[in-house]
Amino acid sequence: MRSAAGRSPRAVTPPGVPSGPGDKAHPGERPTSASDVGTAVTEAFRAEWGRVLAAVARSTGDLDLAEECAQEAFATALRTWARDGVPQRPGAWLTTTARNHALDRLRRRRVEGAKVATAARLAERVDGVPGTDGTGVAGPDPVGAAVADALDEWPDAEGDEDLLRLVFACCHPALPLEGRVALTLRSLTGMTTAQVARAFLVPETTMAQRLTRAKRRIRSTGITFRVPPPELLRERVSAVLAVLYVLFTEGYDAWAEPAQHVAGCAERRALADDAVRCARLVARLLPDEPEARGLLALLLLQHARRDARLAAPPAAAPPAAATVPVSEPVLLEEQDRTLWRGDEIAEGLRVLDDALAERRPGPYQVQAAIAALHSSAPSAGETDWAEIVGLYDVLVTMTPSPVVLLNRAVAVAMLRGPDAGLEALGVVADAPELAAYHLLPATRADLLRRAGRPLEAATELRRALALVDREGDRRLLARRLAEVGAEPAEAPRGAS
Amino acid sequence: MRYLMLVVSAPDEPDDGPAPDIEEWVAKHDASGARILGDRVRPQEDAVGVRVRKGEVLVTDGPFAETKEQVFGFDVIEAADLDEAVAIAAGHPMAYHGALELRPFWAEEGA
Repeated sequence: MRSAAGRSPRAVTPPGVPSGPGDKAHPGERPTSASDVGTAVTEAFRAEWGRVLAAVARSTGDLDLAEECAQEAFATALRTWARDGVPQRPGAWLTTTARNHALDRLRRRRVEGAKVATAARLAERVDGVPGTDGTGVAGPDPVGAAVADALDEWPDAEGDEDLLRLVFACCHPALPLEGRVALTLRSLTGMTTAQVARAFLVPETTMAQRLTRAKRRIRSTGITFRVPPPELLRERVSAVLAVLYVLFTEGYDAWAEPAQHVAGCAERRALADDAVRCARLVARLLPDEPEARGLLALLLLQHARRDARLAAPPAAAPPAAATVPVSEPVLLEEQDRTLWRGDEIAEGLRVLDDALAERRPGPYQVQAAIAALHSSAPSAGETDWAEIVGLYDVLVTMTPSPVVLLNRAVAVAMLRGPDAGLEALGVVADAPELAAYHLLPATRADLLRRAGRPLEAATELRRALALVDREGDRRLLARRLAEVGAEPAEAPRGAS
Repeated sequence: MRYLMLVVSAPDEPDDGPAPDIEEWVAKHDASGARILGDRVRPQEDAVGVRVRKGEVLVTDGPFAETKEQVFGFDVIEAADLDEAVAIAAGHPMAYHGALELRPFWAEEGA
């Protein structure tokens, strides 16, 4: 439902933290109640999880160990902040504590004699970082004077560098794509495996395997937590952006699904927010990459339309009493533009201008420029379709994918009429990549209908209905088919 | 990390134009110490299979499994991590004409 939009339906809370209202604990102030500490730790978790994880991952080279130690650090915070107050710089405190936990574990492993060489080497590496004294075995509670001393010399910029290294490792093209997307999401947000599983609509065991496999491959193939060498940087930045785009698409698609009829829709929608958050972070971490800002602008502009992308269908007959009509996706040209979020569009346009000023265009900037033209037009009719077709022509030279050509044909139809659109669509008629893509026949049907060829449109709609795997689009296609005067093959009109 | 780098053909993929020189590649990575060992191998039709079954040594002509991809050679690469190995592999001429497959050695950390 549209009203469920604004807030993420899941609360990301570190283990053991009571969730619930509580006054904000200000840094440095001595909290007076458990709920104050809980709030402070929860806020630190949202703001600092990625950096804490990244710091330990970089210094140990072991993401599993880093996850355990980061979790442990937040649990320690819950205990010690209640006793000593919330530290001035919670992130630095947590990072140092997590590193100490890591050092402690590695030393214990060494003492136990297990994995001797590895543990010794890793412990050496951890010894070399700020915040650890490097002498003897750490006591049972590693939080103390050593942490307090180390805090003063812990630069915040270091945390961002580590975070960038973590992002490059999680998005490494040597990992399976599904694993990259899940691992990046989990590492940057601190979502649990169960939460990630729900968001991707897979059983928790499946997601656990996917994450474990990705982490194992990081170790076994020798992926390290670092910024790639200059000769590989361009491709690897693209790989990071592609992962964020896949993440966003998962959420974006769910915004065109009738939430009350599609299980897990709310969780999936939240992925779009997560992706915007991650894109914002990556754009900040990669200030020299205009494509990173291009992606952020694209996501902001597309996400800003979310409240207008579903609406009740125009009632052909008055619905039976007490029946709430099921929402259907609304095409861009038909959306109620007053529902678009103006502040997010404004931000997207700013970010895009900033990226374009670098004069190093790329596919994300071009797609964002197309989205910007839509966002700036007062109505579909007043859209600068000539400019949009021109941008698609540029995009085709950068990424000649059939989906880009399909979208170009839609723009051509808006500029020069449905016949020209159908002709442009001919280029991708036999593209094997689109053989199972319902939007190819759906688009052709739309153009045929507008060209006054309803019988052919009906044939294409039936073809699209046979392929569609999304509830929202299925309803839209079924209604279109009914409107062109043919009987829907199966689902009778007005069902549910 | 140590990697076995298999140099294989990619019969269904197009060539990518002019490639770096193999002699330069070998000289560069021999000098840096990254290339531990490497050579070309004779084609599949010269392969010899060996196995022991019920105590008997069975020698066969030809490979165990016919594949479209031919192994032309191999190198053993010592690199700090995967990205360094990828950068070395990407400078090999067969990355342009065929494909390279990096196989990490088993390390004590295992996987």
